[in-house]
Amino acid sequence: MNRTGIIVAAESYLLRKGVVSILNRMPGVTVVREFEALPALEKFIQTRKRDLLVITYTLFDKSFKSLFNEGDLQDRTIILTHKQEWEGGSGFPTIDSEDGKGLIMNKIQALLDAQTQGPGEDPLFTLSPREKTIVRLVSLGYTNKQIAGELFLSAHTVITHRKNIGHKLGIKSVSGLTVYAIVNNIITIEELSSNPV
Amino acid sequence: MISRELAMCRAVLENNRLLPLFARFNIQLGFGEKSVEEVCRINEVDPDFFMEIANAYLEEDDIPREDLAHFPLKSMVKYLRATHAYYLEVALPQVELLIAQLLNQPELSKKELNLLSGFFDDYKKEFMQHIFQEENEVLPYILELEKQSLPDRPDPEFLSSLKVYSISKFEQEHDRLEYSLENLSRLIIKYLPPLKNQELCLRVLAELSDLVKDLVDHANMEDKVLIPRVSELEQEVLSGEKD
Repeated sequence: MNRTGIIVAAESYLLRKGVVSILNRMPGVTVVREFEALPALEKFIQTRKRDLLVITYTLFDKSFKSLFNEGDLQDRTIILTHKQEWEGGSGFPTIDSEDGKGLIMNKIQALLDAQTQGPGEDPLFTLSPREKTIVRLVSLGYTNKQIAGELFLSAHTVITHRKNIGHKLGIKSVSGLTVYAIVNNIITIEELSSNPV
Repeated sequence: MISRELAMCRAVLENNRLLPLFARFNIQLGFGEKSVEEVCRINEVDPDFFMEIANAYLEEDDIPREDLAHFPLKSMVKYLRATHAYYLEVALPQVELLIAQLLNQPELSKKELNLLSGFFDDYKKEFMQHIFQEENEVLPYILELEKQSLPDRPDPEFLSSLKVYSISKFEQEHDRLEYSLENLSRLIIKYLPPLKNQELCLRVLAELSDLVKDLVDHANMEDKVLIPRVSELEQEVLSGEKD
């Protein structure tokens, strides 16, 4: 299931909660975080390369236009205006506080559709093919050394991969990774060794 | 929003997410018409602190609060210890008991049994390790920080250690304990064979989902209340040094 993350940034509590409540009605959408001020958002946004950003024009104007010009935010930002009082333009899609629910949902959906043409998963939490292979071998009971031999990697590289997997999934133990592998169809229960892990 | 004047009984009846808090604050039920503030005073709980926690629980976001009340961190530490004790002495044993019953079900193959028991043993170890680390490193650090903020001049040794360790380090290294439990629920719902004892499966799932919700709320509270309040005090102690 690919869910798209959306970050909502608005100073006004009512406005923010209003947008969030509309987003929560949309299938496949998760509001990953709300912000009411800039510094925390600026830090956060750089770690979330795939999320959409809904941001008020006031915060947008105040801020980090430099960040937007770098390109990567350009395709995933929607500006929230109030009574069309904004002339900033610059080609970003907008929604307005006076737009109806349906219109807002349509505009956001259009942006989502444009986005999900890529491999719509969050690389921060999704394993690379190589990492999946390693999780599979770990689940089958391979030691780091055996994995290194099997994949022609150095033991050091395998350890680095295991660390990254741990950070991405928040799971470190072999048994935890095994259950992860099963519920994500990387391995079946039948393939497991009969010996206790 | 919970306010001082609100009748405590109304606060609870309307928000059952607050229920887990009463054991942790050691607040007795039987509120009558008493307000939030009165109930707190009778039970020797700082009302500002109670309201910060209660409101953090009711708002599901994890936005750090602005204008946090200046409750003593000592009460925060006491609350965290009580929460840890609840996880170790009540919540985790409850799940463990149900998992043990699950391991007695005749439909499960040897592989499935190994998987389940290995998983839960390791999870329990990780959980306990997580809590011991907080008890032995983070909580003593918070108490020391509060102590150092009181005198005119903080201990220079502590100040230099503050440059190496701060609460933001804890924030970065703080693993979320709920992910593995969510995987366990998925395993039971989708990948284990159907069990005749359906009642047991549903109880396990309900228990897991309660614990996951509680862990999420607790982690959000740490992000919203604990970490901002501690960083605030860190700034105070550091700026005190300059004067």
